[in-house]
Formats: sequence, C-alpha cells, structure tokens
Amino acid sequence: MTEEGKQAVAKARAILENYKGKKLRIMEVCGTHTHAIFKAGLRQLMPENVELISGPGCPVCVTPADFIDEAVWLATEKNAVITTFGDLVRVPGSEMSLAGARSEGADIVPVYTPIDAVEYAKTHPDREVVFLSVGFETTTPSACLAVQRAEKAGLKNFSILTANKTMDEAYRALKDSVDAYIYPGHVCAIVGTRLTEELTGEGISGVVAGFTPSELVTAAATLVELCSKSDEPFFRNCYPRVVTRDGSTAAKKLVEKYMEPADAVWRGLGIIPKSGMVLRDEYAAFDARKKFSVPSFKAKNPPGCRCGEILQGKCKPTDCPLFGKTCTPEHPVGACMVSQEGTCAAYYQYGGVV
Amino acid sequence: MEEKVMLVHGGGGKQTSELIHEVFAKRFRNLYLTEDDAAILPPPASNIAFTTDGFIVSPWKFPGGNIGKLSICGTVNDISCMGARPKYLSCAFVIEEGFPVKSLEEIADAMALTAREAGVSIVAGDTKVAGHGQVDGVFITTTGIGERLPGAHPSGKSARPGDAVIVSGDVGRHGCTILLARGEYGIDAEVTSDCAPLWGMASSVFDVCRDVHVLRDATRGGVGTVLHEIAGQSGVGIRLDASAVPVDPAVAGVCGMLGLEPLYLACEGRLVIFVPKEDAEAVVAELKKSPYGENAAVIGEVTPDEPGRVVMTTELGTQTVLPPPGGELLPRIC
Amino acid sequence: MCVGLPAKVVSIKDGMALVDASGAKREVSAELLDELDPGDYVMVHAGIAIAKITDDDASEAASVMGEL
Ligand code: SF4
Repeated sequence: MTEEGKQAVAKARAILENYKGKKLRIMEVCGTHTHAIFKAGLRQLMPENVELISGPGCPVCVTPADFIDEAVWLATEKNAVITTFGDLVRVPGSEMSLAGARSEGADIVPVYTPIDAVEYAKTHPDREVVFLSVGFETTTPSACLAVQRAEKAGLKNFSILTANKTMDEAYRALKDSVDAYIYPGHVCAIVGTRLTEELTGEGISGVVAGFTPSELVTAAATLVELCSKSDEPFFRNCYPRVVTRDGSTAAKKLVEKYMEPADAVWRGLGIIPKSGMVLRDEYAAFDARKKFSVPSFKAKNPPGCRCGEILQGKCKPTDCPLFGKTCTPEHPVGACMVSQEGTCAAYYQYGGVV
Repeated sequence: MEEKVMLVHGGGGKQTSELIHEVFAKRFRNLYLTEDDAAILPPPASNIAFTTDGFIVSPWKFPGGNIGKLSICGTVNDISCMGARPKYLSCAFVIEEGFPVKSLEEIADAMALTAREAGVSIVAGDTKVAGHGQVDGVFITTTGIGERLPGAHPSGKSARPGDAVIVSGDVGRHGCTILLARGEYGIDAEVTSDCAPLWGMASSVFDVCRDVHVLRDATRGGVGTVLHEIAGQSGVGIRLDASAVPVDPAVAGVCGMLGLEPLYLACEGRLVIFVPKEDAEAVVAELKKSPYGENAAVIGEVTPDEPGRVVMTTELGTQTVLPPPGGELLPRIC
Repeated sequence: MCVGLPAKVVSIKDGMALVDASGAKREVSAELLDELDPGDYVMVHAGIAIAKITDDDASEAASVMGEL
C-alpha cells in the first residue's frame, strides 16, 4: 500500500480508537461486507460503544425456504434442469436442498452467470432450463440480460424463477433498529447514490463502503466521525472509485423494461411491500412460475431458529440455543448458517477469535 | 488390437491378456511383475508403510498430467509422507466400455514414466471393463508399499508450538487446472497441475532435518484443509502469514472470479511440513533444489494459543481466522 | 451481497468485453457501461461489468479521509 494510503488508514484507526461519544448501532446490509469485515478483523478496531450489526443483505439468507421448494419441484416434477449460482445449492428447503435433489437424480447445474444458463438452454434444446434468479440490484440486471438474450434467440425452453429483491424498502423497514447504515457498495454501483442521499431526508444516515480492508476502515471511521459531529442525518460516498451518483443508467433501464416491483417475503422479516422484482406480464413466457404453474409452497421456518431477529440486529447468533449445537455450517438449520456470508456462519467460523 | 476397449476385454479370456500385455505389462516391465497370481517381493529392510487410494478425475487428461500420473503420485506421496521410500505398487483399472485404447496407452505411458521417476515398481495389476455409462472413462486404484527410513516419525499429532510451517510450492494449482479443464465456467487461464511424485523432495527434508514433526501432501481440500487437520490432531494453533502463501497469480484470478479460496483448492504435488523453527531455513533451501520446490516458503508457525484454529494477522494488524473447509467448491455471487 | 472482482478490459466486441484478472480471462457483458475502452478497469459481478473503476483503493482511502 502507498504511503498516503497508510496514513489514511492510520487516521481512520485513530478516529475509531478515540471515539468516546454516544452508543451507536451500525448495520452493514451486505453479506459480502459481513464476510469482508470478519476477514479484515474490523470488529477489533471498533470502539466499545459502537455495535456492528449484520443485516439482511445476503440473498441466500433472505430467500424463503418456499423458493427452494419451488426449485426442487421444478427439478423433480417437471424434470427441468436447474441452473443456479453456487450459493443456493446447499440451502435447505422444507423437504430437501438442491444438493439433495441432485443426489436423487435431478439436474442441478451451477453457473457463473445467468448468461451461461441461456447458453446451456441453447445447447440443450430438448430440456427445460430454469435459472434461479436471486439477488439484489447488483445481480438483477444479469438476470434481465439473460431473458433479453433468450428472447432474441427465440428460446422456448428457458425461464427464470424470480426471488429478486431491492434494498430501499429494507432500509426503511429497519431504520429504527440502527443509527446508520454501511450501504452495500455494489448495489450502489448500479443504483447510484441519489437514493441514499434522498434517504437522509427521511432521517436515515449512512455511508457507501467498498470491500478492501482500507475501504472498510475508512468508511467506518467516516461514519463514526459524522455521527459524533452532529445529530443531523448524513450521507457520504466512501467508495467513489466504483460508485457514482447516477449508477448505471443502462442497467436501470434494462431492469425497468423486464421487471416490475412486487411485494416480497424476506426470510425472517416477513413481507416487505414493493421490495421484490418479478418479470412483467409481457414476459410471462420466461417466468417459470407462470410457465409451469408452480404450486404455492408454505414452508415453515425451522422451529427454534432466530434468523429473523438476527437479521434485524435484535439478537446475536450466540443467543440462539441451536447455534453451534444442532446448527453448524455442515448441518445448517436456518438460512443464516447456510451461506458463508450468513451472520451465523460468519460467527461460527470466526467466533472466539474476532 | 481393437481401437476401443470392449466388454470382452474384461472377460478373462484371450482378449483380456492381450490388452494387459499390449497396454500395461509391456510398459510396466520389471523383475517382480510376472504372469503369476501374485508378486513375490524380497523382505523389507525396515518397517513397511502400506496404503491404497482410488482415483477418478474428469476429464481424464489435463494440463500437467492425466489420471495415470495422478494414480502413481497419489500413492507414492502418501507413502513418502510417512517417511518411507516407495518401493512397490499394484494398480487396478475399471475401464468404461468404448474407452479408446490409445488413451489407455497414454495413461499407461504416464504411469510408467512417473513410477520410474519415483523409483517404484508396478508389481501387480487387475483390469475390469464396465458397461457404457457405469464408470466415467477410467477409474484407477493403486496400492503401495514403502520402507520407512530409520528414525523417521512424522505424524499429524506431532506439531509443537515453535514449529515452522512450510509449504513446498504454490497452492491450488491442481484444483484450478481441473476446474478450468472442465470448461464449465468459461474462464481461460494458463495453469498447469502441480501433480508430481514427491519422494525425492520428501527424502531431502529428512536429510537436513532429523526431527520432522509433520509431513503431509496436500490433496483434495488443499493446504487449508491440511492446516486445519493438523491443528486439530495436534491440539495446537497455527499462525498463518497469509501474505507468505505462494499463489500463482492466474490461480488467484480464477479464485477471485468464482469467489473461491486458493488454500482450499486441491494440490497433487505439494508437501506441508512442520519442523522445529531452527531447521526451517535449511529445509526451504533444500526444497528449492527440487524441480517441484522453487516456490517453497515458510507460511506460518505453530502456537500454543487458539488450539484447533488457523489464525491470521490482517492488513489492518488485527486478527482473523482461516474459516474451516466448507465442502464442495461452488462459485458464488455473495 | 455481491462479490465483485476488479479486472482489466482487454478487448470489446458486440457488447462483450474480454477481461483479465491477473491472468484469468473471461468474456463478460459490457452492455451496462457506456464508453468502455481496452485498458479500463471494471468491477465484475456475475459475469457482468457493473462499473468502471476510476482509482485504486489506497488513494481512494486518502481522498475519503481528506474529506473528513
Ligand atoms: S444458529 Fe442456526 S438456527 Fe440459530 S438463528 Fe442461526 S441459522 Fe437459525
């Protein structure tokens, strides 16, 4: 790292070390932040009266078990090839995970990008190919690109099962649980910072942060410093090398063309109005739910699991009686333990030391 | 001879012996390999190390090797890591009907070459043919015998606080090579497998260090899994200097794209060595003399704190841990 | 929620960019960015270039702290 970078990090550390102000609750709402924060050991630099809460920012963790049930149903009842990001393969549904379905003969194909799922459909014209479309603003455009390509190629055997979500309503829904947010850098890269700036008008504060150790520590210091300076809501972009005010206009247009907002269920949080994205009616042919008349599943949350409260910062994984006992990364009970980015998994893997 | 392996080649009749002779026996030729039912071997000079391993890999051929080379290296390296000189191997093949004989010859060539380099004789073998779709190409099982060096006593339980942790080369190459060779994720990079027989390198470690505490070859699960296993078995902590772990830049790039950790990608030619700190320098210097050891490095030390864990110091000077291995490697978006 | 990888653009054709991350190369969609040239650095997520990167993280840290 350069000399000026080192100095900046030192200054940021000093701000954190010397903070003596009021008690603060800071929430990061991005699973990749959760992981990066543990990896950088940032918690050890946080002043005693600043609490870092891991919010609902891991698409795997907030995706309800019903979604897995739907995917398993498509794979087993409709003999569809399920293409998916690797993250979802081990997530338990109410009966089984996709990995479980695979061991019973279902075709589960992990892909790096939804575009590859379209390619897969092209080369397997005799199979129905369904892509599991999870993710936030960062990931949703890639699913729309996939639909666009399938449309252009006139594919009849490709569709997506949507569980896409947007963050803005979640920021609002959780605002009373926190004093300020660490906004997700890559969501903001697409959306731009206009929205987060506007949120200050609703009394919501936060900073946009990147993912390297120096980006995390400078963002945390900025946040603590601005909180201590005044009680006014604030916003600051601490990831300017990637995040701009406008974000990607092309991405927003693309998503707007193919998708529209809908109410969405967040695992652990329940329904947040207008926080989901589904395909517009014009594209029903690419909507797996409509195409295959997927029945509705009403999965129960696993008894005893406290993921919902954890995602809202109301309790810590260590408060859950199942944590580390019946619930471990090898045998996850709840969603927060499944994804490596999940709060419970992160606590389990890093706990004790950091 | 036919161009493809057929079910009749596994029937035990004339075609079977033709296949065995033309493809395998010709190449493996040595004093102990006969047409009798079992090899008769001279009595060992010391205690013997005895192990077996099965090999399946898809694709069967990849940059830097093939399943044949792999099947020799795997067993040779397991024996070597007990401080034993590999002497004899047996090999059993299960071949899919329709597998090209030419490819089988290529596999046998690699086995013969690697065995010669490792100083082992292939003294017994078996060939079965399975119906189309019942196996994927070829499965190979090798079993091996080695003679232990007097005084050698490496064990996963013997890591002690103060030991230096050494890795004999850059990590994750084999796993990365296979991932790329499968072509599933559309990534292109110049990476070759590290697959290699390691007895030469392992024995040189014993030459310069009388008290090798732990010697392991990292395979599936990579170096990270070995570190966790040793920390657990020895009841010690391992302080890893993450910046000292040698990683090929292209491997790091591939891992970055797919969200994978290079320490958890498979190796097939890497030793993980725990020796008393004062011997570390000599061991690394010795490793570097080997054709497979130019990137050898000390990557950490053993501590009495945090037993069972692998702890790292971060760029910010804080502490973190290497998360324990998580099973199947899948690309992720978050 | 979104792993991103910085990579260098090697070439661009038909809305796809060939990117290079220390020797690992892959085609990614460049359709979400206007004005992309070979030599630019981009943030890649799920096979898509989501943003152009304009600085390294050390000088960014310096400018962020400078603003405080
Ligand atoms: S430890 Fe497991 S059961 Fe408890 S809240 Fe976390 S995921 Fe749910």
